Amino acid sequence: MSTYYASLFAEAGILLLGALSVYIILATGQLSLGNAAFMAIGAYLSSYLTVELGMPLTPALTVSAIAAGIIGVIVGFPALRLKGIYLAMATLGFGEMMRSFFINFPAMGGSGGFHGMAHISVGYIWAWAGGILVVLILVERSRVWLEMQAVHDDETAAGLVGLNTVAIKVGAFGIGAAVAAISGGLFAHHHVYIEPANFGFERSIDFVLATILGGSTLGLGSLIGAILLVFLPEFLRPIADWRLAAFGTLLILVLLVRRQGIVDRTLLRGLTFRKAAS
Amino acid sequence: MVNSNGKKSMLKVILNPSRLLGTLAVISLSAGSALAQAPEIALGAVVPSSGPFAEWGRSNSVTLKMLEKQTNDAGGINGAKLKITILDDGAKPAQAASSLRKLAGDEKVLAVAGPLTSSAAEVTFPVANEMKVVATSQASSKPGVAKLNRPWAFRNTIDEGMLAKTTVPYFKKAFNIKSVGIIFDAKDATAATVGKAIMPAALKANEIAIVNESDPLSFNTGDLDVSAQVTKLKSLNPDGVVVSADYSQAITVLREMKRQGLIKPVVGATQLISSAILKAAPEIPIIAPATFFATMKGEAAEKFVTNLQPLLRKESGLPAEIEPSMYDANIYEIVSMYIDAIKKSGVTGKPADVEADRAKIRDHLAKLEGFQGLGGPIGFNDDGDAIKAFYVLQGQNGAWDTKVRGCSSAPNHAGC
Amino acid sequence: MLWQQLVNGLTLGAIYTLLALSFSIVMGILGILNLAIAELFMIGGYFGFTLIAANFPLPVAVLGGMAGAAIAAMVIERIGYQPLRGTPVVTPMLSTLGFSIILQNVATNFWGSDPLQLPDEYLGRQYTLGPVNIGQMQLIVVGATIVLVTLIAYTVQRTTVGRALRAVAENREVSRLLGVSADRLTLFAFALSGALAGVAGVLIALHYGAITPYLGVEIGLKAVAVMVIGGTTNIWGALLAGPLIGVVEVLTVAYGGSQVRDFVVYGFMILILLLRPQGLLGGARSDQGQRV
Repeated sequence: MSTYYASLFAEAGILLLGALSVYIILATGQLSLGNAAFMAIGAYLSSYLTVELGMPLTPALTVSAIAAGIIGVIVGFPALRLKGIYLAMATLGFGEMMRSFFINFPAMGGSGGFHGMAHISVGYIWAWAGGILVVLILVERSRVWLEMQAVHDDETAAGLVGLNTVAIKVGAFGIGAAVAAISGGLFAHHHVYIEPANFGFERSIDFVLATILGGSTLGLGSLIGAILLVFLPEFLRPIADWRLAAFGTLLILVLLVRRQGIVDRTLLRGLTFRKAAS
Repeated sequence: MVNSNGKKSMLKVILNPSRLLGTLAVISLSAGSALAQAPEIALGAVVPSSGPFAEWGRSNSVTLKMLEKQTNDAGGINGAKLKITILDDGAKPAQAASSLRKLAGDEKVLAVAGPLTSSAAEVTFPVANEMKVVATSQASSKPGVAKLNRPWAFRNTIDEGMLAKTTVPYFKKAFNIKSVGIIFDAKDATAATVGKAIMPAALKANEIAIVNESDPLSFNTGDLDVSAQVTKLKSLNPDGVVVSADYSQAITVLREMKRQGLIKPVVGATQLISSAILKAAPEIPIIAPATFFATMKGEAAEKFVTNLQPLLRKESGLPAEIEPSMYDANIYEIVSMYIDAIKKSGVTGKPADVEADRAKIRDHLAKLEGFQGLGGPIGFNDDGDAIKAFYVLQGQNGAWDTKVRGCSSAPNHAGC
Repeated sequence: MLWQQLVNGLTLGAIYTLLALSFSIVMGILGILNLAIAELFMIGGYFGFTLIAANFPLPVAVLGGMAGAAIAAMVIERIGYQPLRGTPVVTPMLSTLGFSIILQNVATNFWGSDPLQLPDEYLGRQYTLGPVNIGQMQLIVVGATIVLVTLIAYTVQRTTVGRALRAVAENREVSRLLGVSADRLTLFAFALSGALAGVAGVLIALHYGAITPYLGVEIGLKAVAVMVIGGTTNIWGALLAGPLIGVVEVLTVAYGGSQVRDFVVYGFMILILLLRPQGLLGGARSDQGQRV
């Protein structure tokens, strides 16, 4: 594999984690348009730990994930008051606030950016991304996931049958934030330079896009979405000046043709059946 | 070679059927030369042809195609044909870095021109070191970006800190400035560094008071309305104004200054240099440093403009009245320096020698002195930034005028 | 200086009001965040700019920008919203994002990424009232905003089509039983919202005298905040929240906080969402959003 493709896969791994962070929160019926903020927290905190305190990367990522998780829980509580698109807009506001905060945070370089991180390999990125994806796919078969689905489908009913909807929703925010923070930490150590502009609304929307395009009913969907979002613009290079317009058009087409996302359970079942038959 | 040329031509066929016959001829020609095994020198470029800096990237591309044709028409490089592969990064750091990997890893280019922005350079230069290939930015001027990434990173630009040391004294003298107000784009890394650190230091060194020293005035890239900031500036009544922003953002500030009647001289960094900014408020004098501008005097520069301008204006996707920019000149010089290095340092261009060839280009650049650029001799200092002539320009009533000639000289290196 | 800053804030607020209203027509009726509105605004601006540069009078430019953006909005509705009806709200939101990417690319290729500028101040006359300077174009922006908001409010609250719109907003199925064509009304809502964004684009492009393909990006997000603060279900909310946020922004800058301006605005939006989710003027509770 050429280093060019390796770097694209590294990007895809980082985006996969971002997409999963949206996916986990979405699984409880909450849409977050501000996950780039958690990514920024992970990127800045882990960079601070490795560069300024000399901590090895793996524990630094773990610490960042826990810290972002706690912040996610703190954000998750007020989020309980909001639903649907209103929650989405509140998280959008949270994202913009965090970006504004890092622009005015001189200790980590402010808008001038921060560097000094050591470069990591694509293998290390995928060890995290793949590991988290596998864990998530296992969780999808567990009772916890069924409870999350219940909250997603009908929160009132879920509460009536005795589920702790508050814990489930806030917990999802916390876990989602932690996963986004790992994505941020890996981003920072892959690009070895970060600035607040890396973590704007555009990034949050990319996460949502990867989740929804790939299929928001399965963790596997985020994988497909992330790979698509990273590789598609590269493959569209030959059309030069119209590259972005073509990307926008394909995006709309995919949504029109596969409104439930590219992969869903039906598709997956179809594929496995065919395999079994042959 | 057939592949990439063929692919591009095929697309043109789709987009422009009238070129069909010509394209077919090109395809057969390139197929023919491939059969003849003509030796080829591969160089690469990373430019932002889409996104907010699309105009710069597209005019950079036209410039490079012109240089490629000029070189090949004149017999190529040591008998080999020059091929420049140009990739678009959309001004996105991640795409710039992966473009460099594609150029160095897959296309096996000997050196890369670009990327354009400082944010992209911050992410791409470390990759240049990892891949051991020279990358030279045509526009990045945020302090210290090449210095952090030696030995493979270069910039054909001058550090803003050095330029401000010449710009500010001229500004002070020309307009009898005793106090200034500073306004900057807080979201733009280069503009924020200039507005928060470089300009305040240069102003203090020249004993100019900053009226809003304790209260920095900023806005964000993309803001439409800066009326509040300008009203505030006006109330502080400074003799002049520091506008630290990319020129397209600075236009918003200048138009607002004009609207509110704050007609005070403006000083800034190289980011201000453009033809567009002259139209914003012709009555407000703008002082900024540049290494090139379209109406510059001198044989090399005038010839460059005469050749390039018609090509730029013919290109679809670029405005009809476009002029060559400083970044076109810079990228032209960068690739010219690569060609010079290849000719003089025994670069073979053979696949087996690619690593040695890249090192030869790097060593040639590091030692380079007196290369004839468009505005005078060029070399590089120990930080990888250009030692070249620069000019403090005054923009007023729709034209740039040279006021001071300076040189970014460094100890133990030839000056200009 | 304070009075001058208030004038600045009110002008900015008028712009926020128009855009917020444009968002809230689609949001309040269909519960959809149309992310392409920021780009409809930009496209409207380019249409108006081109017409003014070709020496057409202001009303023609405004109509041109309005029509251009309204037609684009109708295309978005037919391709990007109508076929996706019944999906979670995030899906049509992303399809409108696709349109916003396309529109930015189209504008870059047609008009360039450099700012287009008017050679001179358009209607640049200034009026002095004591310590305050007001430009002619500023007065037009503020005046047009008040007229347009009144017009929209009248349309939605007093006319048959407005009542039908509100019926659809309440319940699509019931409106069908009442014999209202929900499909045609949705198209109308998009067109109305687009027309408003287009007018805003023309006025703003002329007021500031410069335009780029990325004109709508930052201001679009702000307008979402303004819409939320005003309340998505009440037309008059935007008329209150726009100037409020405009003045808050301007005063933050005036009193030394230009760097924390966005932090303040978005923080305010979140507070409003948490403490008064229906917005400042919203009547009914509107936080029972659709499922995502």
